[in-house]
Amino acid sequence: MKVLAAGVVPLLLVLHWKHGAGSPLPITPVNATCATRHPCHSNLMNQIRNQLAQLNGSANALFILYYTAQGEPFPNNLDKLCGPNVTDFPPFHANGTERTRLVELYRLIAYLGASLGNITRDQKVLNPNALSLHSKLNATADIMRGLLSNVLCRLCNKYHVAHVDVAYGPDTSGKDVFQKKKLGCQLLGKYKQVIAVVAQAF
Amino acid sequence: MLALQTWIVHALFIFFTTESVGELLDPCGYIKPESPVVQLGSNFTAVCVLKEKCMDYFHVNASYIFWKTNHLTVPKEQYTIINRTASSVTFTDTSLLNTQLTCNIRTFGQIDQNVYGIRIISGLPPEKPKNLSCIVNEGKKMMCQWDPGRETYLETNFTLKSEWATEKFADCKTKRDTPTSCTVDYSPVYFVNIEVWVEAENALGKVTSNHINFDPVDKVKPNPPHNLSVSNSEELSSILKLTWINSSIQGFIRLKYNIQYRTRDSSIWSQIPPEDTASTRSSFTVQDLKPFTEYVFRIRCMKEDGKGFWSDWSEEASGITYEDRPSKAPSFWYKIEPSHTHGYRSVQLIWKTLPPFEANGKILDYEVTLTRWKSRLQNYTVNDTKWTVNITNDRYIATLTARNLVGKSDAAVLTIPAYDFQATRPVTDLKAFPKDNMLWVEWTAPNESVNRYVLEWCVLSDKAPCVPDWQQEAGSVHRTYLRGNLAESKCYLITVTPIYADGPGSPESIKAYLKQAPPSKGPTVRTKKVGKNEAVLEWDQLPVDVQNGFIRNYTIFYRTIIGNETAVNVDSSHTEYTLSSLTSDTLYMVRMAAYTDEGGKDGPEFTFTTPKFAQGEIEAIVVPVCLAFLLTTLLGVLFCFNKRDLIKKHIWPNVPDPSKSLIAQWSPHTPPRHNFNSKDQMYSDGNFTDVSVVEIEAANDKKPFPEDLKSLDLFKKEKVSTEGHSSGIGGSSCMSSSRPSISSSDENESAQNTSGTVQYSTVVHSGYRHQVPSVQVFSRSESTQPLLDSEERPEDLQLLDNTDSSVGNFPRQQYFKQNCSQRETSPDSSHSERSKQVSSVSEEEFVRLKQQISDKNNLHSLKISICPSGQETVLPHGLFPFQSIWDSTLKHYIN
Repeated sequence: MKVLAAGVVPLLLVLHWKHGAGSPLPITPVNATCATRHPCHSNLMNQIRNQLAQLNGSANALFILYYTAQGEPFPNNLDKLCGPNVTDFPPFHANGTERTRLVELYRLIAYLGASLGNITRDQKVLNPNALSLHSKLNATADIMRGLLSNVLCRLCNKYHVAHVDVAYGPDTSGKDVFQKKKLGCQLLGKYKQVIAVVAQAF
Repeated sequence: MLALQTWIVHALFIFFTTESVGELLDPCGYIKPESPVVQLGSNFTAVCVLKEKCMDYFHVNASYIFWKTNHLTVPKEQYTIINRTASSVTFTDTSLLNTQLTCNIRTFGQIDQNVYGIRIISGLPPEKPKNLSCIVNEGKKMMCQWDPGRETYLETNFTLKSEWATEKFADCKTKRDTPTSCTVDYSPVYFVNIEVWVEAENALGKVTSNHINFDPVDKVKPNPPHNLSVSNSEELSSILKLTWINSSIQGFIRLKYNIQYRTRDSSIWSQIPPEDTASTRSSFTVQDLKPFTEYVFRIRCMKEDGKGFWSDWSEEASGITYEDRPSKAPSFWYKIEPSHTHGYRSVQLIWKTLPPFEANGKILDYEVTLTRWKSRLQNYTVNDTKWTVNITNDRYIATLTARNLVGKSDAAVLTIPAYDFQATRPVTDLKAFPKDNMLWVEWTAPNESVNRYVLEWCVLSDKAPCVPDWQQEAGSVHRTYLRGNLAESKCYLITVTPIYADGPGSPESIKAYLKQAPPSKGPTVRTKKVGKNEAVLEWDQLPVDVQNGFIRNYTIFYRTIIGNETAVNVDSSHTEYTLSSLTSDTLYMVRMAAYTDEGGKDGPEFTFTTPKFAQGEIEAIVVPVCLAFLLTTLLGVLFCFNKRDLIKKHIWPNVPDPSKSLIAQWSPHTPPRHNFNSKDQMYSDGNFTDVSVVEIEAANDKKPFPEDLKSLDLFKKEKVSTEGHSSGIGGSSCMSSSRPSISSSDENESAQNTSGTVQYSTVVHSGYRHQVPSVQVFSRSESTQPLLDSEERPEDLQLLDNTDSSVGNFPRQQYFKQNCSQRETSPDSSHSERSKQVSSVSEEEFVRLKQQISDKNNLHSLKISICPSGQETVLPHGLFPFQSIWDSTLKHYIN
């Protein structure tokens, strides 16, 4: 019973993206069945809304904290360096059905989560003393993990969706420092922008 | 033989064991199970299997096996021989927690050898953990705790397990020192339900608690709001505004708050109604506060829906409300001091500073107005709380207002009565009593309307003057407590003065103590008057400084040195007491104790001695006795004077000296013995006081008188007596009986009679009163009167001596007679006297006898008695009239 079906495995792997961040998970096969370790809570949508509000409430602070921690030229060149020019960012349609929104939310959070993982990894190297930033990144990543768990529960319980194809951002491990910082700043800028929309959608 | 065998067996055993030294670590058998853990109360069976090699060495088999638990042999009833090599032992209802079980064999019939040993551990399986609960301290990781259940006596591991619906978290292993709680390693994620449970596991089993499923945000304990600050408003003196910063959790959950406040000097918190702070906020305005009062605030928060835990209280913050005009007029009173200026009085106006809650700000100064009857008003500004002014003897009205930054208080009005004003209408039923460590005063209001009351009090002391403190109460108050710094054990004089519209009324006073205590010193008692059976004690009242309370009574303790102590209670109003029923001539110790409501204190001990006689008693005895003595003496003298002749007759009669009797001259046959001198003539005039006269018939010539016979006996006795004296001279003869040993009983009796009384010759003269007797007869006299005159007249002795010398040529020494015994002294007397008697019978015989005696006395020419006193007493010859007196004198000397 506790054995997860093959289709759920990639989702769970996404939940542990810290360990595999930077590498997009392969698209999993279709024969996935919905099974959870214990029944999902009935108040999932409310929890998802609170989680989105939580993310939305901290996104700007995270963004500021990030570019401040990167130092110049980032704080004074936000538009150029931190503009939300992120390619392959998962789309989100706020006017879609709940199921669609949940699936898109899942993809979005999975993407953001993986990207935060990359950023966190890079920042620990680039700004080892920016503990507040590290803490904020970790907290945001934790919230996203919880959000994914809730979304998955909701999809499984209500819509019996056991598998969602997800895509991840570019791997920054081979890039230079500035590019790492710039990509991180762009992602967080994008995240701040998107999460406000998503939070509003739910 | 047996000892030798034992020694051999031991040697063989050592040999075998040393021989197989490489195999020493290889046991002869083993026990299964190896490390058993047994549940307490259950059965347990162990099997010992012997190895063939050992069995061959020691020639034993399974029947040789015996079991020991903690070195005690297990009864064989619990053994079971399974086969030749295996034996089992079974324990039922194991209760020991830690038991050492050994398998042993007896080799060679007497050596016990341990084959193998195991340790049986007993315990209980874990109980299902209960009451699992978790808390998420904001910013920290989740911590869960539970009730582990009963003691298992085994090492039990508790594991906190947690998972999301889609993910399992790492187990949380409890630490050894905190087996009932565990803090997870991961950060809490809010708004995702997590399922948590506890697994308890030990060697006897594993058990899982109930699962709890919750959203960590519902278990959160937020951090308290911080940076709390307080600000006031100049517009409103009754409000303070609080601002704070919420914890970061406020970003995604709604909060509610508790706000508490208190004044700085209070310890009791007041709380803002919770419904006013039931939503997230970062500021709050507190209303209905007192002006110019410092308040302290604190705040805490929790999740708005009440799920989770209250945060800790924030740090306290304080603020002072803005000032307001004084809300009340100051208490106002006056003292009139003596003034030397005629027609003026010195009045000191005094007032109390307003308490902060009435001052409503900092009092800048006071404004005093003074108005004499129908005169203009005078204004004064005073910074102090007293003001002295000289006023006339008229009636004045004074007013007082306090001023602060915002405005003035209402005016306090005080009427200073005229000099000759007579106060009346006092309060009644004034009482003062301590209660709740305060001194309360209670009174009944007068019938008239009273504006206010002024209470004054001061400490009564013998050392310091009464410096009054005072306070003011409203006219409606009939009961209050003194709001001063009162001390215990001090006597306070409290005065209540009603203040009417036209001036003060008559004051009424009472004494009271805040708290009484035993007196510091006891009273010193002394005697005012001490009588034979009573004593009046007196003492001084204790000074008020040492009373420490109201002296309710005294107790006098008094006792003698050996007697029990007696206590007498005396009312406190007395200063003397009379102790009665005392014993005369006795030392008494007295001490005195004074008692307040809280106890007593003894004073110094005092001693006094009751006299042997009461005052005047000696005089009452001595004076009558003296009077009686004097009276008796006087009566005796008078009696003696009246009866002097009679007394003389009885006590000192005139006894004629027979030797001087004229009878001797009368006797024709008796030659004159003496040459009478002029002194002897005194008896010739017939001055004898009494003379016994016996008429004896002269016809009895043929037969001698018995007295004459006695005279003869005396001669006999004299002889014997002399002989007796010859046998002993000196002191011994004084005490020894000098009675001669006379063979004849008649002689003995005669001698005794003679020794008892000395009979003197009495002249029997028939021719009395100028009648010439026809026959002169001599008879013995019965008188015992001593003839001491002869002793006082040595010339008589000389005369006698001469006479004796002329008659018998007696040596002079014969006058020295032993005075201890009349019987011994009598011979000479008898000789002298009786010679005359005998002469009437036969002068020749008398001469012969006298000669014999003289011969005897020549042998004992000197008879000296050494008396106990060493005094030698010489009695004249023939003068022994008072036998009894002489005996008593003798006895006196002897004694």
